Amino acid sequence: MIEEKKEISNLSNNNSNEIEDNSKASNTNSLSLKNSTNNEPIIQVKNLTVQYDDRVIIDNISFDIMRGEIFMIVGGSGCGKSTVLRQIIGLEIPIEGEILINGEDICKATGKDKVHILNKFGVLFQSSGLFASMTLAENIALKLETSTNLTNSQILELINIKLTSVGLAGYESFLPSEISGGMKKRAALARAMALDPPILCFDEPSSGLDPVTAATMDELIKELNSALGTTMVVVSHDLDGVINTAQRVIMLDKDAKGIIAEGAPKELKEMKENKKVYDFFNRIPTSI
Amino acid sequence: MKDTNNIEPFEIIKKDNELTLKPLIPINVYYGDYYFEDIEKLDFENYSNIIVDLADVTEFDSFLIVFYNKLNKTAEGKNVKINYINASEEQNNLVNVLSKEQKEEKPNKQKKPFFYNYLENIGLKVKTMFSDMYVFIEFTGNLMIALFKFPFKIKELRIKDFAYYFNNAGVNAVPIVILIVFLLGLITGYQGALLLKQFGADRFIADLVGIVIARELGPLMTAILVAGRSGSAYAAEIGTMKVSEEIDALKTMGMDLYQFLIIPRVLAVTIAIPFITILADFAGIVGGLVAAMTALDMTFTGYSNELNRALNYSHLFSGLFKSIIFGFLVSSVGCFRGLQASGGAESVGRFTTAAVVTGVLLIILSDAVFTFLFQVLGI
Repeated sequence: MIEEKKEISNLSNNNSNEIEDNSKASNTNSLSLKNSTNNEPIIQVKNLTVQYDDRVIIDNISFDIMRGEIFMIVGGSGCGKSTVLRQIIGLEIPIEGEILINGEDICKATGKDKVHILNKFGVLFQSSGLFASMTLAENIALKLETSTNLTNSQILELINIKLTSVGLAGYESFLPSEISGGMKKRAALARAMALDPPILCFDEPSSGLDPVTAATMDELIKELNSALGTTMVVVSHDLDGVINTAQRVIMLDKDAKGIIAEGAPKELKEMKENKKVYDFFNRIPTSI
Repeated sequence: MKDTNNIEPFEIIKKDNELTLKPLIPINVYYGDYYFEDIEKLDFENYSNIIVDLADVTEFDSFLIVFYNKLNKTAEGKNVKINYINASEEQNNLVNVLSKEQKEEKPNKQKKPFFYNYLENIGLKVKTMFSDMYVFIEFTGNLMIALFKFPFKIKELRIKDFAYYFNNAGVNAVPIVILIVFLLGLITGYQGALLLKQFGADRFIADLVGIVIARELGPLMTAILVAGRSGSAYAAEIGTMKVSEEIDALKTMGMDLYQFLIIPRVLAVTIAIPFITILADFAGIVGGLVAAMTALDMTFTGYSNELNRALNYSHLFSGLFKSIIFGFLVSSVGCFRGLQASGGAESVGRFTTAAVVTGVLLIILSDAVFTFLFQVLGI
């Protein structure tokens, strides 16, 4: 299917047709459910406790993630950032607490209900998680083929759109092993966006990337958020990325086993009353 | 997911030379394909102006671009102009962001004609085969050097690792090897009984089973089972270490790869396999005894006396000697294939399979060589 000849059509190159940019008219339109940005929470984490064997990693934390915001979870190594993300995306079930995605508890959901909730997510894993034996196009097509009734040519067109949007046009037939680390991350983002989910989750999107590529990744997150209204949940300890990209941040701490600060990144950077937060955001080394 | 009955994707308003299309259902990956059939039915050539009114489109995703492209393509060459009106800011943003080509170097993969690809693949396969042989010979050479040096570095052997692999490859393999070779002895016995009965040569069943098991089936089946159990496991272990950069870490730490990884595994299998083969031979002969007692009414004493007469040390030791060679081949091929892995999980899987296939192939090849040699030498 993937081998079919692609039809690359770019709207901006079509001179005979035009899209009328009518912002005034749009005020009268009802907005897409997905694209609305407001103060209602899309993810609610309530009294979450995570424990591995006898070791408590996260102890009774609660927070909300608002629809359409770029929300970041930060903290030092081993504080449980990725653990919290794994609970949110349903990979692990917490020992206590509930995680509501659009009002539905992912921790209790099973079978089709869980798949229904999971379709609201796109996840970009730290090591990209692309299927090594599949081309980039096949990686992206997988979800489209199983979740929609689209024809092969429509799927190919969507693949082309997704890859173009992440700067990988023309790489459809490449295997993950044939592209660089930064390109893998972007390809994984294109895969995560396959169904245009209302929530995109990123686990350390800039890890292993050079500063320029990392900054490009951050810009891509911001651009997609503002254009598509997608809620972005990002786990990161890349401070530049956090300060430039996040709208709201929670900071987790290994000793507290929970949240020690919450707010806009620039507020946390100035939070002198909390030494741990201040040190973290200002890169002040702690004595060993 | 969606109701497929009576869906009208557009409200269509025709006025003089103007056709207005008002999408009524979501333009997304779940519903978008409904538009395609209707768009194809539209007679664009009869109009000079097509207006697509997006006012009622409240749910959309990137399929919106596919939708635009379809309309534009349908209108191509028909002297008709399409105007999209009442597009919301969000819709325009989505189209602008997803249609914008990001800066990226273009791939340099070029499409080649099928025949060229076919020939190139054959060439690559042959090249891979020869380079595999070359690398395997190089690996065997390095392994031999490491083995010759081993007695002088015996203190460096990680006894814990050796014991672990000896236990895994040897002790843990005993039950399955005994079961399989017992059944093979039984099967050989029954098949032989059918023939021998016709000639009144019943007692020679002990000769048949004893010699076949001790010289061939015992060592061969043991080696094949060890290839399936341990050869594949070594390839997977070392392959995973390779792709997760553990091998690189070992190298940068100045560790001797062969001393640290390969020799404990190869020695464990090579030393363990003759012991398993002895047990396998015994199990096979017992299998033959069961067949002789049930199919030919032979007694235990009769079977064992005949076996004692027929089997000599050369039969036993030729089998055991072969098993040592098989063990060495299976374990070293497992390690070698593991070291060949690169990239990711897919590569590890591929080389694990290759370890078993190559291991079994080498077992059979070397068995054929030994059979010929022993024949010539009269062993």
